[in-house]
Amino acid sequence: MAVTLPDATGAAGEELFAPSPAAGARTPPAAVRRSSIIARLRRRAVFLETFTWLYLIWSIIPIGIAVLFSFNSGKAQATWQGFSWRWYVTDPTQSVLHNAELHQAFVQTLVLAGLTTLITVPIGVAFAIGIDRWRTRTASALNFVMIFSFVVPELLLAIALFFVVTDLLHFLPLGTTAEVAGLVVWNLSWPAIVVRSRLVTIGRVYEEAAADLGASRLKALWRVLMPMLMPAIFASAVLVFAGVIDDFVIVEQLSSTAATQPVSVAIYSNVHGGLAGPALNALATLMLVISLVVAAIGYVGYRLMTRGERKNTAEALTTIAGM
Amino acid sequence: MPGGTITLRNLTKRFGDHNAVDDISLEVHGGEFFSLLGPSGCGKTTTLRMVAGFEEPTAGQIILDGADVGRMPPNKRKVNTVFQSYALFPFLDVAENVAFGLRYQGCTRAEAKQRVAGALDLVQLTGYERRRPGQLSGGQQQRVALARALVLNPSVLLLDEPLGALDAKLRRALQVELKALQERVGITFLYVTHDQEEALTMSDRLAVMSNGRIAQLGPPRVVYEEPESAYVADFLGVSNLMDAVAAPGGDGTCRLTIGEFSLTSTCGSLRASGPVKVAVRPERVGIEAFVASGDNRVPAMIERTVFLGSSTQVVVRLAAGAGLQSVVRNDDPAAGWVAGTPIKVVLPPDALRVLANDGGTVEQIHEETLGDVAPVPA
Ligand SMILES: Nc1ncnc2c1ncn2[C@@H]1O[C@H](COP(=O)(O)OP(=O)(O)OP(=O)(O)O)[C@@H](O)[C@H]1O
Ligand SMILES: [Mg+2]
Repeated sequence: MAVTLPDATGAAGEELFAPSPAAGARTPPAAVRRSSIIARLRRRAVFLETFTWLYLIWSIIPIGIAVLFSFNSGKAQATWQGFSWRWYVTDPTQSVLHNAELHQAFVQTLVLAGLTTLITVPIGVAFAIGIDRWRTRTASALNFVMIFSFVVPELLLAIALFFVVTDLLHFLPLGTTAEVAGLVVWNLSWPAIVVRSRLVTIGRVYEEAAADLGASRLKALWRVLMPMLMPAIFASAVLVFAGVIDDFVIVEQLSSTAATQPVSVAIYSNVHGGLAGPALNALATLMLVISLVVAAIGYVGYRLMTRGERKNTAEALTTIAGM
Repeated sequence: MPGGTITLRNLTKRFGDHNAVDDISLEVHGGEFFSLLGPSGCGKTTTLRMVAGFEEPTAGQIILDGADVGRMPPNKRKVNTVFQSYALFPFLDVAENVAFGLRYQGCTRAEAKQRVAGALDLVQLTGYERRRPGQLSGGQQQRVALARALVLNPSVLLLDEPLGALDAKLRRALQVELKALQERVGITFLYVTHDQEEALTMSDRLAVMSNGRIAQLGPPRVVYEEPESAYVADFLGVSNLMDAVAAPGGDGTCRLTIGEFSLTSTCGSLRASGPVKVAVRPERVGIEAFVASGDNRVPAMIERTVFLGSSTQVVVRLAAGAGLQSVVRNDDPAAGWVAGTPIKVVLPPDALRVLANDGGTVEQIHEETLGDVAPVPA
């Protein structure tokens, strides 16, 4: 279920895009001989709009159904038996609240997301500043690593990390420690790239102004660059947090027991031969809500932080979406 | 004088194999308003950035009040900069922006508050303390940038096209204000601009730059009236420029041949010989009826007349093909003559300036400057 989340955000992007051709079609024709072009444009707009709606329906309806049945009072996944909170709280053994495995998975996901964000973002910011502002050989090497981790398939990285952890780094046990380590490596390029693109936008003139006024390089970094990077840092924290919630491949490889399984792994292993049932829907719904809330916080927060900068909605969205 | 003398000695900055600043030497006196003037890409900003400390010189020295500061980091130099983009910190309000540097001068809170108030008063922005830069107009931002630098009592203020982003009217108002302010605070201003009118009206002295070198240095009136090269004359938009062939004349004069006509010059590089450029300012180009005769008179034809308000511009074409502009009083008979009227152009010997043949980098020729009205310094 968690795997369908990116589709939902993608669909939001589509929706943003759709109105513009429609708006173009609404402008009155400038000349009669142009009317056939306009008509064609309108047909295209209708086609685009229809397609967008089909896409939205196709991606949202399954999620909607899954969410709906998490509130079913019975065990059925196909027949509605009345509304209840049974699978969230009231069922004494199988609800998310009372089933230890599900409960733990939920907590584990939040712990992983929190820890990974706390570790990844500062390192990523440091990398970004290092790569962009200190043009050295090390900086180029770091830059290569950033791009590399973008290109490497997640599964490859996960398996590689698994062998490194089990065969080489014995002090790094499978479970939360290894999971966080793997997630940090995998997500590091987000803050590095988002913060770096902001660094490029900002340019060096503010640091030069600070130096000119008497600030040392470190002071300029701290008093001027950091506040100006805040929106990007915040956006990348949101991205990392949401990314960890979504993650499956790395945590699946690096979790040890059921106790360190996050939601995605718990759902996966239970659908295939565990306690299948609406409680899983409930768990997935909770993760969906958290993802949406995080995305909303990210969007609103970014807009607020860049208030004076004449940003438009699309820019805020694409930054949050990490583009 | 409170100090503020800058000496540049053989200053050079190379980017790759391109000399952005090429062996510049000059001295700016304490309390002087000194401008670096030149077209885009001639190295003005690079020079200024080296004085500020943002670029390290490839060679040469920057001496500030007797000490070589060439390798000193910018935060240690007693110079401050007003950036072209202002570079106000967007997340701080006006008062915080102005107070930014005071922290590094070991100011107490009370003293800082007082100095910020003083600086804002100086640039007439009292009452704007709590505004963010984004809530200010371009001119107000420019003043904040000025206050932020001046509050630190620098011995030298560096300004990189500080009025470049403003509209023409505000520009002119701020030129006057900035000059008045400089005289009041008495610190050295090193001012970069590509606007010749701005440089001519504001500076005590100026250096015209070309391709990383200084083409001419001196007070505005001298540079404007006695350009040493075609490049300077052309860049200052002063003059009509003509091609001529020079030969030494009697009594230290110079004989110029323009087309088939022969003229005498008594100013400029009188010992030049061979092809040269000759400059003559529009105010000095006289127009007489075709029947007039005498020395330094050349037949020509009126091409058009343009009413300028207080005077009239007459564009003429010499028989030799060159175009010339002349500015005459409105009551001059020439002001009323129609296009196509044959006339005589009078080019007085002391107005015909022979320019040293510097193999110049003049891109424009007189053809292109025709129709432009040469600015006259106030
Ligand atoms: N960091 C740099 N790296 C490479 N070349 C540079 C750099 N900075 C400036 N240059 C080059 O040096 C030359 C002088 O640049 P500079 O910025 O000093 O010109 P300028 O006189 O200030 O022009 P403008 O009026 O357009 O600001 C230009 O050819 C420019 O391309
Ligand atoms: Mg410049």
